Amino acid sequence: MTSVSMKDVQKSFGKNHVLRGITFDTKVGEIFGLLGPSGSGKTTIINILTKQFGVDSGECFVSVGSNEIGLMLEHDGLFSRLSCADNLHVFREIYGIPKKRVEEVLESVGLSNATKTSADKLSKGMRQRLVIARAILHHPKILFLDEPTSALDPVTARGIYKLIMELREKGSTIFLTTHNMEEATNLCDRVVMLHDGKIIEQGNPKEICTRYNAIKTIHDLESVFIQLTGGGLK
Amino acid sequence: MRPLKALFKKQFKDTIKNPAILIQFIIFPIIAFVIDHLVTNMYGITEEALANMPNQVTMQAGIFAGMGLIMVPMGIIAEDMDKKSLRFLSMAGVRPMSYLMGVNGVMLAAALCTAIAFTLIGGFSGTDFWIFLAAMMSGSIASIILGSTFGLLAGNQQSASALAFPAAIVIGFGPMMAQFNDDIARVMHVVYTQHFNVIAEYLNFGISDAPLWHSFAIMWANTAVLLILFALAYRSKGIA
Repeated sequence: MTSVSMKDVQKSFGKNHVLRGITFDTKVGEIFGLLGPSGSGKTTIINILTKQFGVDSGECFVSVGSNEIGLMLEHDGLFSRLSCADNLHVFREIYGIPKKRVEEVLESVGLSNATKTSADKLSKGMRQRLVIARAILHHPKILFLDEPTSALDPVTARGIYKLIMELREKGSTIFLTTHNMEEATNLCDRVVMLHDGKIIEQGNPKEICTRYNAIKTIHDLESVFIQLTGGGLK
Repeated sequence: MRPLKALFKKQFKDTIKNPAILIQFIIFPIIAFVIDHLVTNMYGITEEALANMPNQVTMQAGIFAGMGLIMVPMGIIAEDMDKKSLRFLSMAGVRPMSYLMGVNGVMLAAALCTAIAFTLIGGFSGTDFWIFLAAMMSGSIASIILGSTFGLLAGNQQSASALAFPAAIVIGFGPMMAQFNDDIARVMHVVYTQHFNVIAEYLNFGISDAPLWHSFAIMWANTAVLLILFALAYRSKGIA
């Protein structure tokens, strides 16, 4: 069953064509990755799917309402003076879910000993985990994660991968953007590779690697990307 | 109702932890109290001289209601827009009107506490207590709506301050400037802070050129006009 889809979507900002004929669909319960360098259109796709932007032409579909979506965007949007727990209590009360869920979710992201710490006193990694806690608080059916592990240390990033896998096992669809090809290879069931607002390849990451003979010691999506575009990622 | 309650609580906790906002509700009554105390105890001051001096309580109350309360909601809304917190609230299904009522509800409650502090410092009692409180709350509501409009129009903290500060100065200090210039007085005649001053003068000296209801009517008319301006800004700019 389709969870999220786009069909021939075009989007421009002034003379800058950000998306050119984007078509893909994701299935319920899969981890779907949008890959590409900065400026390739990944965040614009998330902004369109979460109704922050409209499209110039084409169609997009999200199978659930906005209150069944979990979000982790470029800006964390935390209430910086409020504690971790209070940040979550605001949304808990809006969604009308029991109080104990806040403790559960803080524990699941490893922040149970920082419940009373205000958000502006958290490290980058802890803030990122708090944002994930907020995103999963209401058991969303679709989770949009924009660069979920950017600027995180490997240990924290691994904790977040584990959390993403657990969410998938519980039936959530995970839609993530990244420019980390190793992350995409290890996490995603399917990926779309973006370059200059166009899809240059899509499918299962390991199959894509095999298709381009890119398997060295690990499945190497980055070398596929370089083969396809003639350029690096960053 | 749930989002409104959640946002009221959020704003209450945030205000308590935000010295820049909290100070606005505390500093004006303190200034009024200190200056009033200093003037009253000035060496050699006569009863007659004291009676002719401007009342510090009503003066500071006017500046608080006309200026401080424009800057406060503007800062809060602009900060939430700037940090994209509003985007997450809107995705969680919070309607913009619930957000604005939650945030401004706290501001209004805090303004009421400050207004009561002013009435206690000023020693207003009986009917005067209620007249002063009604005038303060009418001015506060108008300023909060105006501040919210600036917050919406600006969208980020820097532009919001640049937009609201000159307006707050004119509206807050306008009545004072009107005493020295007839043209300014004519303009200020339709502005709510001027009529707060008219009511304050009646309370201080028992004199008024027009009945008090006239000043209240102009203050409420201002509120109605500001509500329309707010609705236009809200329609054109949105909130997330």
